[in-house]
Amino acid sequence: MSRTHTSRRAFTSVVDGHVLPKVIQVGPNVYGAAFHLMKLLPAQFILTSAMETGELTEGTTVVETTSGTFGLGLAMVCRLKGIPLVLVGDPAIEPPLRRRLEALGARVSIVSGPELRTRGVQQARLDRVARIQARLGSYYTPGQYDNPLNPVSYGAVAELLLESMGTFDALVCPVGSGGSSSGIGSFLRALNPRLKLIGVDTPGSVLFGAPAGPRQLRGLGNGLVPPVLEHTLFDEIHWLDAGTAFTATRRLHSEHAVYMGPTSGAAHHVARWYAEQHPELRVMALFPDEGHRYTNTVHNDAWLRRNGFLTPPPAAPSTLDHPVQAAGSWSRFSWQRRTRDEVVALAEGVTV
Amino acid sequence: MKIGVQSQDVLSAQDPHGQAHMEPVPPNLEHGVLLGTGTAPSHHGELLQGVFEDDGGLRRGLVTLPCALFASNATVRLTRWEPELTVTPSWKTKALTAARTTLEVLGMGAYGGRLELRGDVAVGRGLGSSTSDVTAAILAVLAAAGRNLAPERIARIAVAAEAATDPLIYFDRMLLFAHREGAVIEDFHRPVPPLAVVGFSSTEQEIDTLALPRARYNAWEIGCFRALRGLMRRAVARGDQRELGRISTASARINQRFLPMPRFDRVLEIAEETEALGVQVAHSGTVAGLLFAPHQAGLERRTALAARRLAELRITDHWRYTAGSETHVPYAHQS
Repeated sequence: MSRTHTSRRAFTSVVDGHVLPKVIQVGPNVYGAAFHLMKLLPAQFILTSAMETGELTEGTTVVETTSGTFGLGLAMVCRLKGIPLVLVGDPAIEPPLRRRLEALGARVSIVSGPELRTRGVQQARLDRVARIQARLGSYYTPGQYDNPLNPVSYGAVAELLLESMGTFDALVCPVGSGGSSSGIGSFLRALNPRLKLIGVDTPGSVLFGAPAGPRQLRGLGNGLVPPVLEHTLFDEIHWLDAGTAFTATRRLHSEHAVYMGPTSGAAHHVARWYAEQHPELRVMALFPDEGHRYTNTVHNDAWLRRNGFLTPPPAAPSTLDHPVQAAGSWSRFSWQRRTRDEVVALAEGVTV
Repeated sequence: MKIGVQSQDVLSAQDPHGQAHMEPVPPNLEHGVLLGTGTAPSHHGELLQGVFEDDGGLRRGLVTLPCALFASNATVRLTRWEPELTVTPSWKTKALTAARTTLEVLGMGAYGGRLELRGDVAVGRGLGSSTSDVTAAILAVLAAAGRNLAPERIARIAVAAEAATDPLIYFDRMLLFAHREGAVIEDFHRPVPPLAVVGFSSTEQEIDTLALPRARYNAWEIGCFRALRGLMRRAVARGDQRELGRISTASARINQRFLPMPRFDRVLEIAEETEALGVQVAHSGTVAGLLFAPHQAGLERRTALAARRLAELRITDHWRYTAGSETHVPYAHQS
């Protein structure tokens, strides 16, 4: 009984060992919560909860649409728990990720050309999921975009951050599903109502009202607005393009020896700027995954040059009157804890 | 948690702050009669109450805010010649049950006699009147018998007698305590840092603590309790009163869904205006408090302002005390 949190023990699995981040100082008043793979946390939490409530039983197949790290998180948890998994992805899925998912026993179902042309990628994936569900007798869909347990799963991160740092002043989150930002943001706010929550998005993503368009930076932003994203928590939004995020990712490594993926670089870029503007504040950034998946891309000069990403980012963001103007390498907008509808409604009269 | 009946964990007789303790009374004052007394302080509700992860499951638990303003005193006279143990006042049956259980645990079930309780802990407010009585009664029996029990065992006896208990027996450190099981979820190893408390009764009505339905926390609230627990570890280790105030306010806010306090928003505004560290409530009672740092400049002026503002809300029944240990020493390894 009365264990202390400092007592050491063996981790019960790789998920147990990797599920929480390490808090690392990366500047006089900047800290990063560096995850091995952040999406392990909601994957583990949602599946464990579903097993406790009986929604997920033996013989039930887990079906989810994802081409990203949530799929990898699910694949690791499902393999360790012995649960069959089907992941529906689009053709842009990276071959090494696909190989890793399949090595973990997941079936990867890729929507193909004709489906994509007639219905668009999101709808094509949802249709495919529906077809697979109909074929399976018993299935469970974690639904990271709709499942309220996605944000709630991050209580463990809030616990770790607060134990390590106490209450701090600002949290910078790259936003994709809205799970980590809305979860951690809401828990920290419960203790510190003055906490600044700063979201990092990318041009082309509709999360915070920017015009829809192609996105070069996967894992950041979204083509749809997930219900779990709670817009009223955010004080400020930044849009970084792929080149800015990639350069920032390289700088995070070369200056601090922290080897992370591009969404981490984007978060660090904004956190660093915000911390410089407010030297009296302590700023925390979320770093969602490590750099190993990007060894041949973001962390490779030849690849960056070939794809035209070697331009240095501006030193400061341009401040927008409205998110519809979000474009270019780096812009910001003062969101002021409003709903998305409220902000979108302001667009009338704004010059784009 | 496995608990034996052995009694190696001797209770400390030191008592600098009025916490639960036994009087060192010689056991035999009259022929064949064992006499013992015990004292237990009140508490002021909780700094934190919710559900917390423990060994992969969830348990209800709380962190008590101690209050040595009020206390319960128990005197017991035990003899083999009387068949029954009786209690005065006769309605304090929980204390009686606890005394009887203690005798059984000690292998002294054949003893009878009289248990007498005196104290000034107000009933039905969340000051822990019944827990104080129960704890004092157990301590009195132990003193009369000249025996000791581990605090875990005493907590179990208290829970068996009254269904839920605050851990008054652990006077020297803060705990995350499973109040319906009498078990320690997490030991923070440090006493409560000093807190100046402006306490008040938020309503004139009494609350039957045990008749309240159990709070059914939602998934977000359960996640939030993790965050509060994480900050609690740091706040206790460092003696950080400001963070304790934040935890207390957050826990009080969550509790509004289950036992709303009249004019809670107004009390939050008073806390803001008087620069209090936070608002604290008894999560199953009517007692509440504004927390201040005892050595902060302008404390007298600000607590006086708080009292005035409370009076404007027709809350005229308030009191002031300092909770926790003045000798709180934070851990050395702070960064």
